[in-house]
Amino acid sequence: MTAHRFEAPAHVPRGLAAWLRIWAVARRHAYVLYRSPHRLFDVTVWPIVDTVLFGSLGVYFVSQGGPNSAGQAGVAYLLSGIVLWHVVYQAQIAVSTGFMEETWSRNLLSLMVTPLRELELVAGIALFGLAKLVMGVGVVALAAFTLYAFDVTDLGLALLPVIAILLLGGWAIALFVVGLILRFGNGAEALAWGIMFVVMPLGGVFYPVEALPAFIQPISALLPTTHAFAAGRELIDGGPVPWGELALAAIGTLVAAAAALAFVAWMLRLFRRRGYVTRYS
Amino acid sequence: MSDVLRARGLEKTYRRGRAVDGVDLTVRRGERVALLGPNGAGKTTTLLMCLGVVEPDGGTVEIAGHRLPRGRSAAMAHVGFAAGYLPLPERLRVGEYLRMYGQLYGLAEPETQALRGLERFGIPHLVKAMGTELSSGQKTLVGIVKSTMHDPELLVLDEPTASLDPDVAMRVRTGLAALCQERGTALLVTSHNMVEVERIAERVVFLSAGRVVADGPPLEVAARFGRDDLEEVFLHLASERQASEHTEGLRP
Repeated sequence: MTAHRFEAPAHVPRGLAAWLRIWAVARRHAYVLYRSPHRLFDVTVWPIVDTVLFGSLGVYFVSQGGPNSAGQAGVAYLLSGIVLWHVVYQAQIAVSTGFMEETWSRNLLSLMVTPLRELELVAGIALFGLAKLVMGVGVVALAAFTLYAFDVTDLGLALLPVIAILLLGGWAIALFVVGLILRFGNGAEALAWGIMFVVMPLGGVFYPVEALPAFIQPISALLPTTHAFAAGRELIDGGPVPWGELALAAIGTLVAAAAALAFVAWMLRLFRRRGYVTRYS
Repeated sequence: MSDVLRARGLEKTYRRGRAVDGVDLTVRRGERVALLGPNGAGKTTTLLMCLGVVEPDGGTVEIAGHRLPRGRSAAMAHVGFAAGYLPLPERLRVGEYLRMYGQLYGLAEPETQALRGLERFGIPHLVKAMGTELSSGQKTLVGIVKSTMHDPELLVLDEPTASLDPDVAMRVRTGLAALCQERGTALLVTSHNMVEVERIAERVVFLSAGRVVADGPPLEVAARFGRDDLEEVFLHLASERQASEHTEGLRP
């Protein structure tokens, strides 16, 4: 062993420490993606598969009904829907699988005995998740453009608030999933993907509330994503910026995010009280 | 000497029963303390409550003047933790892993500190190795480097040398002794190796059935139980525990 004297190391200023911790978490997850190429499927292969599936469905139905404006709009609804859906999907999957990575690698206990705060952990994972989201949504948008000549940027700047609302919605769903994993352990992991199969048909991704069976419609109307996707369709129709739908979606999303935060905080307290950390050590 | 860890009246009950029952635990700056006891005595639960990972049902914990749970983040800046059973995360090289933890502890030059730490424990050649390529002993050493690179006031080690060869275990003991001497770091360690405990610790706290049953210098504690060394005290407490469990099992 080299005889090194122990010296007090220099620390960053206190104000920077939290940002450095968030950056450290984001960087750690960048390494995970870099060293696990199969995880690129989420941001490359599945987006292309989704685009081909829904784009071709639209093209087929148009070909059956003859080229009319309603049919063409249907194709655009499907393609804009799948592009925007991937905002929710990528935001949700990146945060929930990022958290699960810490449980899979049994790193949770080590993280919990550092100055890292719970919100900083989520922020670091979400920060890297944003990079994945840009990749995933970029791939869908590019595939829609090259395969079906659908340019999502034609929807204009009004698309930005829709994307922001869906991003926050995706994170809210992820926090809910993280809360369930804290409570029920890795058995709840299936929800990370499964919950999206519930949100997709109910969340108005491709069609308005009225298209659903009557008894499901009230549930769909309550979901903020329904109003965000409805706003997206109004933009495709060339109408003015649908502020009403956007406001409903924004308020609903904020309420959902607050509820998800409260839920995950409650589950975290339970996690500490019942000593569930020993599941991961 | 001021206290770096002060836990008072810690209590914890799980569904299977009482795990910790009114434990007081104090570690002063620069002091080397071992927390001992047979399996199920409440050592790990006590440690996890002291680290703010498990919430006690009753009692208080204060680390370097920060009361948990409110001051957990500030308190953890003064604590290093390593456990023989904790793996290194997959898909990270040792250098990347140490850099990450250095940043979590707010170090301005985490790479430099990581290299120094690796050299200190005789494993600088591992800096580029993947976590999955290391032997269990090497993982333990890297874990100890991680837990010391930010110059903690309190170093908590759970079974630190459980998987180490005798020569590596000696390297760890020497490194830890140097750290405690030069930086005044306090040490709180759990181990089932009583010989090692006698070499490392100046004070031992014995737990049995969630309670502190002895607290003092190793030889004094052994004498209090009428035994020659800590190994015999340990075996005595373990057999008592077994007997009480057996009696409870026979009750109608």
